Amino acid sequence: MISGIHTINILLPIFYLATLVVYFYDFLKEEKKLINIKRVFLFITLLLHLIYIVLRTIAFDHPPITNVFEIFTILAITISFSYFLVELVSDIRGTGPFIIILPLIFQLISSLFIQDLTEVKEVLRNNLLGIHVISALLGYSGFTISAVYGFLYLVLYKDIKLNKFGLIFNRLPNLEVLERLSLYSAVIGFITLTIAIVIGIIWLPIAFPNFSYLDPKLVGSTLVWLLYAAGITSKIMGKWRGKKLVILSISGFIVAIITTILSNFLAQSFHSFY
Amino acid sequence: MNLIAISINHRTAPVDLREAVYLKEDEIRPFINLAKEHQIKEGLILSTCNRTEIFGIPNSNETNHEKFQNLLLNFKPTQNITEQHFQKFVSREAIKHLFCVAAGIDSLLIGDNQVFKQVKDSFQIAEETQFAGYIMHRIFDAAIRTGKRAISETAISEGAVTVSYAAVQLTEKIFSNLSKKSALVIGTGETGEIAAKHLSEKGIGSLAVTNRTQEKAERLSEKLNAKVIPFTEFRESIHRFDIIISATASPEILVSKDDVKNALKKRGNNAMILMDIAVPRDIDPETKKIDYVFYHDLDSLNIIVEQNLMKRKSEIPKVEKIIEEELDNFWEWYNSLQAAPAIKDLRDFFEEIRNEEVEKNKNKFVSEDQEKLDIVTKRIINKILHHPTIELRKTDETSASADTSTKIGIIRDLFGIYPKKNSEKD
Repeated sequence: MISGIHTINILLPIFYLATLVVYFYDFLKEEKKLINIKRVFLFITLLLHLIYIVLRTIAFDHPPITNVFEIFTILAITISFSYFLVELVSDIRGTGPFIIILPLIFQLISSLFIQDLTEVKEVLRNNLLGIHVISALLGYSGFTISAVYGFLYLVLYKDIKLNKFGLIFNRLPNLEVLERLSLYSAVIGFITLTIAIVIGIIWLPIAFPNFSYLDPKLVGSTLVWLLYAAGITSKIMGKWRGKKLVILSISGFIVAIITTILSNFLAQSFHSFY
Repeated sequence: MNLIAISINHRTAPVDLREAVYLKEDEIRPFINLAKEHQIKEGLILSTCNRTEIFGIPNSNETNHEKFQNLLLNFKPTQNITEQHFQKFVSREAIKHLFCVAAGIDSLLIGDNQVFKQVKDSFQIAEETQFAGYIMHRIFDAAIRTGKRAISETAISEGAVTVSYAAVQLTEKIFSNLSKKSALVIGTGETGEIAAKHLSEKGIGSLAVTNRTQEKAERLSEKLNAKVIPFTEFRESIHRFDIIISATASPEILVSKDDVKNALKKRGNNAMILMDIAVPRDIDPETKKIDYVFYHDLDSLNIIVEQNLMKRKSEIPKVEKIIEEELDNFWEWYNSLQAAPAIKDLRDFFEEIRNEEVEKNKNKFVSEDQEKLDIVTKRIINKILHHPTIELRKTDETSASADTSTKIGIIRDLFGIYPKKNSEKD
């Protein structure tokens, strides 16, 4: 089984790259026959990735959430799975390559540095922790996709304003759709992050004796949560829309990245395991 | 094949000459009768603002392009038209030209869908007036198939190639659902009217028009089920519209930057699209600097039009490939209508049936009768086919080739004897 895991570990970035190439080719050429081919590529990659995660969990007796490189592979699959759903539901073409490049990067880094850990802290084998981490990662995946759509919105907005009618103009969906995709991804991200925070607040003080409400990761996540809560509320109230809203989404994503880096690499707390 | 065609079109003659020979629908029918009187037994008349074309299969070999031209010029007496204003085609080239027209690559506006509809309409007139015989009917089918394939298999008709349509397409890059949007068209001249029609066709939620001459606006509003706003009051209500298209002849600016700023405030910064397709401009171009306002004028819309035209031009080789394929298919069918191969195919077809039945049943006969069975059945087949064979050979030698082809075509259709494709032969 271990050798199988190692082989898939090498194959996964290659599969993501192949999928990205097909998506990018479709973006350039927009040929009708590619619609299904690219989805098949993404589906096979996702399936392989799922098998990989299941095998790892069985072989090493813990879900791959115990260190940053294990988490990167989960992040890769959650982003590409979320995008797969978005594409199936919305039937929107042209945004794929901008999203799929992210799981490729995450998986590549993960594949290069991931180790076969069999010895992990007992607390990391807990099921509630699994839900806590996976829902947090789904939340961040939602924010990532939301930020990408927000970014594409800004690029298309600028292109239309400046009369640049190139590939971006021809291939991307319209501004309202991009805004909606960005919003929906943010809402899904917000809901799953809320679940992660609620589980965290209830369970962490029980599991960790040295728990602190001032933990950098907790403070960072709460900050990000507040930012998205403000954005979503203002959208529902009809106060903010369009450009302002997507800028907020992109800012939220940047804050999320910064707080994650700061809390993971700079600060030491009960929340750090690696 | 003795199909002859003449064409006076946007490439060969200026608009005044094309107008002079243009045949309205009520003129085409009498013209077809005239053609029939002049020994053209089947054919097609296509007349649009960009082209007038006559396709015909004459009864005799003496009829030529010149006779076709004279027929048209006698029917529509026109000065200044010379032979140079006509393109001439014969046989395969004539069919190819018709396919090119149907596929839109011979149009002034490459990939124009309109011409395909016009070609179909002329086919219908030819059918109704019994001007479409067996061969022409087959040509029509192939031309329609070519046109459809060009539209579905290539991008020859994709993208806006007129300014008013480009304006509407651009709005679709900003808004996702036009049925939930409202639009105002300022100026109901030709350009404004076309833009309003496009919006209406795209299912705009609500449409309003305004014009300096109120009656004109009312006339258009009736056609498109739109509201009319008095010209003196439209500035106060622009905030109610998501899309504003302006195409008036006004020498001064009608909508200022402040008007738009105020409107946007009232709309709570809901995006607004301003399409100024007037010369000189109606809307202050400075409005483009306002956030959430998408201002576009003729120059920017022309960029889209030019790009789409370039794209369509790049599709021409693909369409030409389709035309060649359809032409080859048609030609293969047409060649099967020659007398000698048709007689052979007919005899082979009967012989195959005879042979199959004899083989199946010969065991029911005693062995000395089996040879007789073979001889007798052969004799029956020969007798059945004797008259059709003689008749086909005779027609081939004495009458026009179209008659022979028609007869052979009918025989092939009746018995289902179609020429084998090369691959099948192999």
